[in-house]
Amino acid sequence: MVLVRPQHSSVIYITLLFAILLMLVPIPDSLRYARPEWVAMTLIYWAMALPQRVSIGVAWLTGLVMDLITGGVLGIHAFAYALVIYLVGRLHLQLRQYPLWQQAFTILSLVFLVHFIVMLNAPSSFSLTNWMTVLTSTLVWPLVYAVLRKIRRSFQVS
Amino acid sequence: MLLAVVASVLLYFLDTRLDYFKPVRATLSTVVYPVQKLASMPDDFVTWFSELFQGHQQLREKIMTLEAQNLTNSVRMQKMQALESENMRLRELLGSSFRLQERVQVAELLSVDLDPFYQHVIIDKGESFGVYEGQPVLDSLGVMGQVAEVSQFSSRVVLLTDPSHSIPVQIVRNGLRAVVTGRGLGEALQMEFLPHNADVRVGDMLVTSGLGGRFPVGYPVGTVTAVDFPQGKSFAEIAVAPAARLSTSREVMLVLPGEKIDFGITYPLQIEEDDLPLLEQPPATDEVVTPAEGND
Repeated sequence: MVLVRPQHSSVIYITLLFAILLMLVPIPDSLRYARPEWVAMTLIYWAMALPQRVSIGVAWLTGLVMDLITGGVLGIHAFAYALVIYLVGRLHLQLRQYPLWQQAFTILSLVFLVHFIVMLNAPSSFSLTNWMTVLTSTLVWPLVYAVLRKIRRSFQVS
Repeated sequence: MLLAVVASVLLYFLDTRLDYFKPVRATLSTVVYPVQKLASMPDDFVTWFSELFQGHQQLREKIMTLEAQNLTNSVRMQKMQALESENMRLRELLGSSFRLQERVQVAELLSVDLDPFYQHVIIDKGESFGVYEGQPVLDSLGVMGQVAEVSQFSSRVVLLTDPSHSIPVQIVRNGLRAVVTGRGLGEALQMEFLPHNADVRVGDMLVTSGLGGRFPVGYPVGTVTAVDFPQGKSFAEIAVAPAARLSTSREVMLVLPGEKIDFGITYPLQIEEDDLPLLEQPPATDEVVTPAEGND
């Protein structure tokens, strides 16, 4: 790393805010369970690309905001995101080398983990439709990756 | 990582186990309110935009239907007023106090999707408007739910369909009392703990019974859509469709606490206040000679 000084880190927070908004924007009821985990994916991307900028602390705080916004029990999303970002932080060097489809499978398991933790505390039962979000997240990952990489490069976030 | 785990677990226990953690949560919810407001903006904008470009003809039609509706409503209101005053008179004769009308405050939903596992909505009135926890929420057709959490500018409302929500009801046809609970999926409720011989039919209308003192009496809750008596189960399975448009209403009404939701009979209190001669006088007065038993 040549650049030590952090640059344009506000871009990271803006993308996170945008991801949170995407989680909240109303969509038809039939699609509600299929909403991709935008926030988790955004966090994973930044933790992968810039592990020194997006750490467990950022993930935990983002999770806390999600808990407050979705009205769940405090600490659930915070824990889930922190855990996933911890794993990404350990694996980021490998993850960067993977081809996109292989990354998508890693995303599948990571989003599965997030969703599992959140579901543990949800009042409704474990039905198959509740897991749609894992599948849709995997499918949109290449898009998220491409968009965020474009943002990172054009703003030279480091 | 360890720190994050400890902090999460700590928060989890504080939030679920301790009641006095609520104000902290309310404050934090106030902080995230702008984000929620921001998220509801696209939808608000679309509504505003489509209203802006509504044709002249459409607006005329809308006004016509509203006027017609207003006319029928005011005719009904006249009748209602007569009935209401008659009802009040009769109740006064019985010596019970009963409010037919509650004052309401209108609030608007924030068009924000929350966790799909909870049947909650956010409304744009909070503590600054006097909203309080447990306040009943109605729409124009019936009961929607109650306020679960209040922050400064917004509140979270638990809908009837939330699995953690129950409401005491009464069947209009025969006065049978029961409890209606949410099921957590879509627009469906169920009536619980009724035996197989309970007199419930498809199409029965359910209104709030007012028991429990949280919801005012007589607001529609739903209609029975299916009745099943499964073999080998102790209770009937009764499906109820909510009366309120839970997923499409934008304006909701909050019942104000000013009018006490009072369904009890209060004559002992009234007698103490004015009609004392009938009761035993306190011995503090001089008339110790007249025994109280002789009065009746």
